[in-house]
Amino acid sequence: MILQKKEKYLQIALNSNLQEAELIIRQLPISKRILVEAGTPLIKIYGTEAISRIKQLAGPQAYVVADMKTADLSQREVRMAAEAGASGIVCLGVSPIETIDLFIKECKSIGVDSMIDMMNVQDPLMILKKLKTSPDVVILHRGVDEIEFSKEKQIPYYQIKQIKGSYNILIAVAGSDTIREVQRAIFNDADIVVVWKEFYQASSATAKLAEDFLKVVK
Amino acid sequence: MLNPRFKYLQIAFNRSLPEVRQMINLLPVSDRILIEAGTPLIKRYGVKGITFLKDCWEQKLQKPGYIVADLKCMDRGSTEVEAISLAGASAATCLGLAPIETISEFINRCEAASIDSMVDMMNIQFPFEILQKLPKLPQVIVLHRGVDENDLNREKQIPLYHINKIKGTYNVLISVAGGENLRSATSSFFNNADITVIWRQFYETPEQTAQLAKEFLELVK
Repeated sequence: MILQKKEKYLQIALNSNLQEAELIIRQLPISKRILVEAGTPLIKIYGTEAISRIKQLAGPQAYVVADMKTADLSQREVRMAAEAGASGIVCLGVSPIETIDLFIKECKSIGVDSMIDMMNVQDPLMILKKLKTSPDVVILHRGVDEIEFSKEKQIPYYQIKQIKGSYNILIAVAGSDTIREVQRAIFNDADIVVVWKEFYQASSATAKLAEDFLKVVK
Repeated sequence: MLNPRFKYLQIAFNRSLPEVRQMINLLPVSDRILIEAGTPLIKRYGVKGITFLKDCWEQKLQKPGYIVADLKCMDRGSTEVEAISLAGASAATCLGLAPIETISEFINRCEAASIDSMVDMMNIQFPFEILQKLPKLPQVIVLHRGVDENDLNREKQIPLYHINKIKGTYNVLISVAGGENLRSATSSFFNNADITVIWRQFYETPEQTAQLAKEFLELVK
């Protein structure tokens, strides 16, 4: 695994377009604790160029997450994203077990981190139990559409300890947008907090969040 | 946009763009053929890939053809639908495994963009449970076996008996994906599917594209 177990990370998801991605990346503080993500919409709009462009902008040392949201044909998608420069790649937890197993195997053989996104999965432990090998990272998620249309759905923090109690894997939590929410996720034992810029926010707000994170979370 | 009285053949393309152009050129001219930009192709080339397919097929048909973007939306359905409809897609897919909020937003956005919505039931045991929760129905339901699951677990079958069950209750078209040969396509149509999706033989033997398409096309007459 490329990520360190003892560190806490902030993952900045870039979702709207490459111009804005560039604007945000240029303002980010340089730190190995800041991960940049090529979001699914960017990948679907620009293709793997989104990943290679973000890698190029963020620099050779940067850790780029490719949110491929793989649901099938995992070997091909892993190779594609890794060739474009991704260090961590995301597969859907709702996809068939065969797909997830192949995905983890391919990530291991290539030397990138495997991340399983548990969006819309009732019980992530049930999925983990069925797998041949554990992934490097599990992402606990509230989807954007879910937040938007049903405000009461919360990030299931209790699942973090449940998973960490049984598996030696890192937990990423997605769906925070203030430093307090980020702190809350870290306090609840998350290793990675995923944030993104809402369309109404300035890109400098994201950079500010990253700076606060480096200061507040050690 | 799709005619419920017709049967359609959907061919998924996932090779490199120059190869795809050659393959599309070899296809017979027919309204019954739908061209799909496969998920790996979209993730490799982005919306450019969709426009490319649209242009190739339009040149071949001498009029605009039907392009399916296999987006497999799981979240942020709205952004993705807008992008691909601008790129020229006629239909897009969303995962039935996505949150209900996402599927229903996806269907609304497709309607707003005047493209057909397709919900892919891959890895869903009971498609009815999803359909019952939706405030509005999609145009097409895709019954699907994933490629990875097919390869690793030969026993799993596409549940063709779902076709008539769903059609008996809902006014939707049914697409069947994950079969690999002429025989599975025949049996999906025999079981009342409206669209059958094929890719593997075209992917593995692009040189036989013309011959394969002709054989399959016989089925949809």
